[in-house]
Amino acid sequence: MNTNFLPSWKGLWAFAGTEARVQLHEYLSIATTVLVQMIFIFFVWLLAPPQLLPFAVVGSMVFSSFVVGERVLDEAAYIRIDHKLNELYHASPLTPESYFLGMGMGVLAAYLPPLVVLGVLSELVHPFTVLSLGVLVGTLALVWLIAASLGYVLSTFFIDMRAIWPYATLLFNFFGVLPPVFYPLGLFPSYLTEFALLLPPSAGAALVVHAMGLEPLSGGEIVLALTALLVEALLLSSFAIYWARKRTREGV
Amino acid sequence: MSVSDSVSSSGLALFAENMRKVYHTRGKPSVEALRGLSLSVKRGERVALLGRNGAGKTTFLKIASTLLMPTSGRIEIFSKDVSVHPEEVRPYIAVVPQEGHPFYHLTPWEQVYTYLLTRGFSRETARERTEVALRDMDIYDIRDQLNVTLSGGQQQRTMVATVLATEAPLLFLDEPTLGMDPFARRRVWAALRKLTDRGSTLLLTTHYLDEAESLSHKVYIIEKGKVVAQGTSSDLKRSVGGTVRVTIPMDSAKSEDFASFGRIMTGEGVIHVITEPPQINEILNTALRRGLSATVGPVTLEEAFLQLVGRAIEDEH
Ligand SMILES: Nc1ncnc2c1ncn2[C@@H]1O[C@H](COP(=O)(O)OP(=O)(O)OP(=O)(O)O)[C@@H](O)[C@H]1O
Ligand SMILES: [Mg+2]
Repeated sequence: MNTNFLPSWKGLWAFAGTEARVQLHEYLSIATTVLVQMIFIFFVWLLAPPQLLPFAVVGSMVFSSFVVGERVLDEAAYIRIDHKLNELYHASPLTPESYFLGMGMGVLAAYLPPLVVLGVLSELVHPFTVLSLGVLVGTLALVWLIAASLGYVLSTFFIDMRAIWPYATLLFNFFGVLPPVFYPLGLFPSYLTEFALLLPPSAGAALVVHAMGLEPLSGGEIVLALTALLVEALLLSSFAIYWARKRTREGV
Repeated sequence: MSVSDSVSSSGLALFAENMRKVYHTRGKPSVEALRGLSLSVKRGERVALLGRNGAGKTTFLKIASTLLMPTSGRIEIFSKDVSVHPEEVRPYIAVVPQEGHPFYHLTPWEQVYTYLLTRGFSRETARERTEVALRDMDIYDIRDQLNVTLSGGQQQRTMVATVLATEAPLLFLDEPTLGMDPFARRRVWAALRKLTDRGSTLLLTTHYLDEAESLSHKVYIIEKGKVVAQGTSSDLKRSVGGTVRVTIPMDSAKSEDFASFGRIMTGEGVIHVITEPPQINEILNTALRRGLSATVGPVTLEEAFLQLVGRAIEDEH
């Protein structure tokens, strides 16, 4: 048992740097993700009414931040199951919480260039204000923290790589694509609006498009979406820290 | 970080007493991997754990390296309780996991260098040590190739380099030379000796008994989760009855002439007389008088291992 309640971030930046390097060596996979988003946006531009285009671009940014969680899930499981690198890092001064968060930060760092590209595209399609840019960055950060926590915790339940990808892909696409992330909340069945505002990607997208003046939310909806994001980020990341500490010793 | 800062005067790097570990898997009978294992490692020692597959070596190493909770027993590293305060032990240890791999999408240089940074070394120290470790493991020339493109033995050398470069006070190495060629293994041995000369302590497992013999000050033989023999390689070999083996091609039924010289073991169409060097001449003369040839060789740790574990298996039944 770690008797210290407060997290200790020893080794965090160095481990995040390690993970970022690992991811950056796989630049093809990063390029592929941005390409897939671009193709999707291209189809929206081609087929949908023009006013939906900024929604798709914002959605693809929120989605990119959310799928960092899927990458964390894959990476954490892969280096544990196939490489046993968790043993190398856990039996060291790097703290378990730094291991979890560093992995999330490293993967995020590698996927920042695609996010910037999408951000520039978004600026071209519908210019940001200082406020809406701030809301965008804050929202992406919260969505990332939630997804990375979820990805790390879920990764620990797998003992076989092959079992992972269908579950991980299903989970992150189900919550990241199906709800109103790439399209306006108003197009979603109205009795499910509150539900959508509880899910991190759709809550995030709704807050950003509201701040950009694309689709206004009511005061109650803003409070709901923001509270959901903050509470989920706090709870899930705290649980991930607790879980990481516990998981450094199997059988605890 | 200096070990002496936080270490009592006990002189032990590792102390484990009556360790038990039961694995519970849902829907399967539980496995008793350790059954009262006790061992200790003095500071600066190189100690090898030997045992058959499934004997419990990795289980013990994982418990000692804070990666697994024991079911019961007491274990201390530099006088700190491993079960209660793993976070206090971790800065002093480093581990080569059994059949681990470096990050496939890093180069050997990046692997070692970034690992040192995460352990808190300065960039300068990390750079220096990385270079030395890569040279020691003879992978300096391939330092910029992605690990995924390296051969199995080269990847394993990268793992060992990563851990040796930490110069941690206590190193756990689970089959560190697995898949390495004889030259590479000797490089690892030399690097490990260099580390202990500088004060580090090593606990390793291996199935290469020549490695255990040439490298370790002390050997523990484990069978079914318990220590069945311990001592220096020579102690263990002596417990078989002698340090040299004289092999004579003859029918074992007629071997009574040689029984007085030592222990007789029978092989295929030969007998082995396990004895001590002063007896050799006498045995050779006896063989010559009977028109038989004879060859002399040292008793190997492998023979001792087979004998000692064989006995333990028999005792169990
Ligand atoms: N996670 C686990 N769950 C259940 N049983 C396990 C687990 N890990 C190991 N065991 C069992 O514990 C026993 C000891 O395993 P361990 O890995 O410690 O052996 P070992 O001495 O390292 O063997 P080897 O030389 O093959 O590496 C074996 O019977 C093994 O099946
Ligand atoms: Mg093993």
